[in-house]
Amino acid sequence: MRILFILLLIFQFNLLKADEINYLLKIPNLKTFSLNNKNGLKYLTAKKNFKIGVQSNISCNKLGEKNLDNKFSLIKRNLDIYDYEFLKKINLRFIVLCQNLYISKINTAGIPDLNKRTLILDLEFNEKHFERVIHHEVFHLIHDSFPEIFNEETWSNLNKKGFKYADCSTCTDKLGLDIYKNTDGFLTEYSKTIPSEDMAEVYSFLITDNKNLEKIKKIDPIIFKKAEFIESKIIKINNL
Amino acid sequence: MIKKIKASTGEKILFIFLILLAITSFVFFYTIKNKCLFVDKIDLKKINFPNKNNIAIMNVECGMVIIELLPNLSPNSVERFKFFISNGDYDGSAFYRVIKNTLLQAGDLEFGNIENIDYFRVGSGKSKLGPINSEINITFEFNAGSVGLVRGDEFNTEDSEFFILLKDVPLFKGEYTPIGKVIYGLDALTKIKSSDKTEYVLRPDFLSDLKLLEQYN
Repeated sequence: MRILFILLLIFQFNLLKADEINYLLKIPNLKTFSLNNKNGLKYLTAKKNFKIGVQSNISCNKLGEKNLDNKFSLIKRNLDIYDYEFLKKINLRFIVLCQNLYISKINTAGIPDLNKRTLILDLEFNEKHFERVIHHEVFHLIHDSFPEIFNEETWSNLNKKGFKYADCSTCTDKLGLDIYKNTDGFLTEYSKTIPSEDMAEVYSFLITDNKNLEKIKKIDPIIFKKAEFIESKIIKINNL
Repeated sequence: MIKKIKASTGEKILFIFLILLAITSFVFFYTIKNKCLFVDKIDLKKINFPNKNNIAIMNVECGMVIIELLPNLSPNSVERFKFFISNGDYDGSAFYRVIKNTLLQAGDLEFGNIENIDYFRVGSGKSKLGPINSEINITFEFNAGSVGLVRGDEFNTEDSEFFILLKDVPLFKGEYTPIGKVIYGLDALTKIKSSDKTEYVLRPDFLSDLKLLEQYN
């Protein structure tokens, strides 16, 4: 009898309550937070913990109300710089806010999904670099939307001869997000992982710390070329 | 001599309880079980349709549902929808995906008909005409009664499947192709079988037929 009761409980907890958000985005346990935004972005929050993806390898937790109140205006202010047309081009429509976002047991700042035009953001991820991280994740959508424009081979050739990126962004322990004092072609330790992360780091500095980047460009010719590369491609996308 | 035994208070209460239970069961069986009891019946003759060419009439278990089609918003999608209706392709289609009090989905012509329902593949079926492009309208409000074409994760994957909303869903604005609006009979749709826990319905309800108003005359 006890076993039957436990089985019933497990069965109940495993069943997902269907709703219109899950119907559209295939992400359970969300609620709408802010829909009527000028640039068309729709913000949703996790009302309960959720798991998605292949073998439920992506998980994120319910948000505390205080955390949301503190961070939402910051997130909105940062994402409001993108207009409707640009967001349409880069396939970004939904922002899912939650905390403790993990993919295959690795904590991550955000997970972009081009097909569902969604960016899941972890509000707890790295307080110090949070604003920059938002744009870093947006860049991944830009890159995924225009892979031919942001050619990784061309990008890799901007580095010093002999430099080799890691095989994947999580195949290395180079995860630091602090800016190097001596950049030498890379703004952060994380830039050295793979080309797309390197591009995303340059892009995020372009958006959030351009003054500092301008200074670095004057003394680091590789960073100069990388920043020019990103800037020119963004202008190209804007003019499409 | 037989000694008369008086019923105790407990036994009297139990007896009354059993009688009440029997009455309640009777009432439930004959009235509440009839899920269509409080659904208003629609008389087509009493309705004056302003645009007769764009009216579709669906018959479900609890009555008639009248849909005004919106060719001005989504001309290609409405034309496609009308083609399937005229062919009788939707007759017997299963409401296999239902979100209680929110949304009903039907129209899988390949795997979702009463004649050939395939529970493993329903929802993945295709029509013989193939997908069409989305006709998104960024101002159309998806309110209760709105009818839209179902798509996959990506745009431009719409085919024969459609959904009907039972409540306002502002999130859908700009996400789906609107093809119509239920103008009468939404109540009948709220009685379609659903599950509390999952949106896929085992042994679903079916729509009897879906016809254009002009096919009635």
